[in-house]
Amino acid sequence: MAEAIQKKLKAEVEKYAQTQKDVSKSVSARQKLETQMAENNIVKEELDLLESSNTVFKLIGPVLVKQDLDEAKATVAKRLEYINGEIQRYETLLKDYQKKSEQQREVLTSLQQDLQKAQGLPPGKV
Amino acid sequence: MAGKGDTNMEHLGGVVRLREEHQKVMEDCESRIQHWKKILADYEALDDRLRTLPDQLCYDIMVPFGPLAFMPGKLVHTNEVTVLLGDNWFAKCSTKQAQKIVEHRMKHVGNQLDDVTKTMKNFEARVGFAKDLESMSANTGNYVDIREEVGNNDSPVTKGKQRIAHKPNSKPKMDVMFDLKEEDEEDEGESRDTGSRKGNMTEEELWARLDELERLEELQDEQDRLSDNADMNGEDTSSSSSEEEKEADAAPPVNGLSLKPSWSSVPHSIQPLTDRKEEDYEEEEDGSCLPTIFFSHTVEPKKVRINTGKNTTLKYSERKEQKEHSKRKKKNGHSNGHSHHELHKITTPTDIYRLFVDVKNGEPIPRKSILKSRSRENSVCSDTSESSAADFEERRMIGRSFSHDEMTHSDTSDGITEEDSPTAMPLQTPSRFEAFSGTVVEKDPMPTAVPHLTIVPPALPTILERKQEEVAPDVPPPEQAPKRVSKFKAARLQQK
Repeated sequence: MAEAIQKKLKAEVEKYAQTQKDVSKSVSARQKLETQMAENNIVKEELDLLESSNTVFKLIGPVLVKQDLDEAKATVAKRLEYINGEIQRYETLLKDYQKKSEQQREVLTSLQQDLQKAQGLPPGKV
Repeated sequence: MAGKGDTNMEHLGGVVRLREEHQKVMEDCESRIQHWKKILADYEALDDRLRTLPDQLCYDIMVPFGPLAFMPGKLVHTNEVTVLLGDNWFAKCSTKQAQKIVEHRMKHVGNQLDDVTKTMKNFEARVGFAKDLESMSANTGNYVDIREEVGNNDSPVTKGKQRIAHKPNSKPKMDVMFDLKEEDEEDEGESRDTGSRKGNMTEEELWARLDELERLEELQDEQDRLSDNADMNGEDTSSSSSEEEKEADAAPPVNGLSLKPSWSSVPHSIQPLTDRKEEDYEEEEDGSCLPTIFFSHTVEPKKVRINTGKNTTLKYSERKEQKEHSKRKKKNGHSNGHSHHELHKITTPTDIYRLFVDVKNGEPIPRKSILKSRSRENSVCSDTSESSAADFEERRMIGRSFSHDEMTHSDTSDGITEEDSPTAMPLQTPSRFEAFSGTVVEKDPMPTAVPHLTIVPPALPTILERKQEEVAPDVPPPEQAPKRVSKFKAARLQQK
């Protein structure tokens, strides 16, 4: 009886660990996106400050590719929007993962209690 | 004290950990600050370089060739700078523009640095507090944590004994009271002592006391009723006109109206009589040794013939009721009897009831009773009168007396006097005899005293009271005949 509960407990613990990992992953991804967003904001500001006389380059691999200023601005804006969207998505994912982890935690606690009871009983029985 | 020490240790541990965590954060903040400061320094150096770079057209420099070698070379196009904007975006711009960009960046860095320093300061404060807390819990240093432990199991500080909280309206347990009494001999709790003494009384004594109290209550009720009667008398005169209209079957309105002014004088005379009567009743009833409660308005079904006047022999008790019903008479405004004023001289209130007949076809016809004939036969009214009309009158009067009495009692018990008049009227309308069809009439009046139901709940005034009326009054009158007689009664007796 106690062993069965122990097995269950282990399985639940693994699940909980997995969920926690997912949570942390989503959290880190979101952080990255946050930094990118900040950076892109700066780029956008700088591009706005630049005059058309300056040429803008984009580093694609080892190559510096010449870009039009307006194009660059548009690209940066699009990228910014994309990043925002990604952030939203990751936020929802994070919430889901957190909920799951909570549920897992509850299950774990209940299982632990059962285990304790089961462990408490056998010595009484004996 | 061991417990105290343990808690202290726990507190200490917690505080230490808190302090350690705070310190970690502090260190983190410091590292970040260092980082930002370095960046700031770099940007400043860059700024300087950009400023001086366009001074010359070209510079001779040693160009790094791979990670290990250098080569002599020249630096040309000193004004052209390719600036990394971020996210793999570059822009070619002059040094001045580059300088602008650098300025921006430096602003950003400065902001970051400010934030980090703020957090650092906050955590410094927290760390200081944690340190103080640590010293307090260890009872070292200048600060001492004042702590009081709540000992629930310790002996109470209260003076005297701890009282037992009895639920309301519950008798305290006898055995408990005994113990307390023994222990309370030296105590000052008087109330408790009296309660314990009371608890020590036997049950019988308690019941006797209860009955005493009930009787006292009844006395009070009687007195209240007296005052209520006085009020009602006043009300009747005012409302008699409305009541007359209500009574379609009752005396023709003409009569009622004509009688109205003359009636007004009557109630005043009747009032003291009724009051006296009620007092008599109270005395009679209270004189019984058995713990029973009787209503003074109840009619004894005992058949005692008393010559109260012309053509009427009423029961001993009925007379009293009739006096009380004089009020009702007023209410109903039935003053048909006045039409026969020449015939029957009204000297007593009973005469009024005698005259309470409908004048139809020149003959006094009793009002129709709503009671079934069977119940009427067994009703409290007696069959002793010579004339059937008088008999009916009696019954009517008694019936009315019942209904009235009940209402008065409902007044006293409920304390609602206003209800009396409206309820009286509809009751009176159907019949003179007995207004309540749902009455309980006892066939065999019990001559012996029987302990009756003690207190009638005011919610059921009619039926229960009737029962009591018929049952209860059996007892008092026979026993209390030789009591103090009111002047009215004496007058009546003299008339016989």
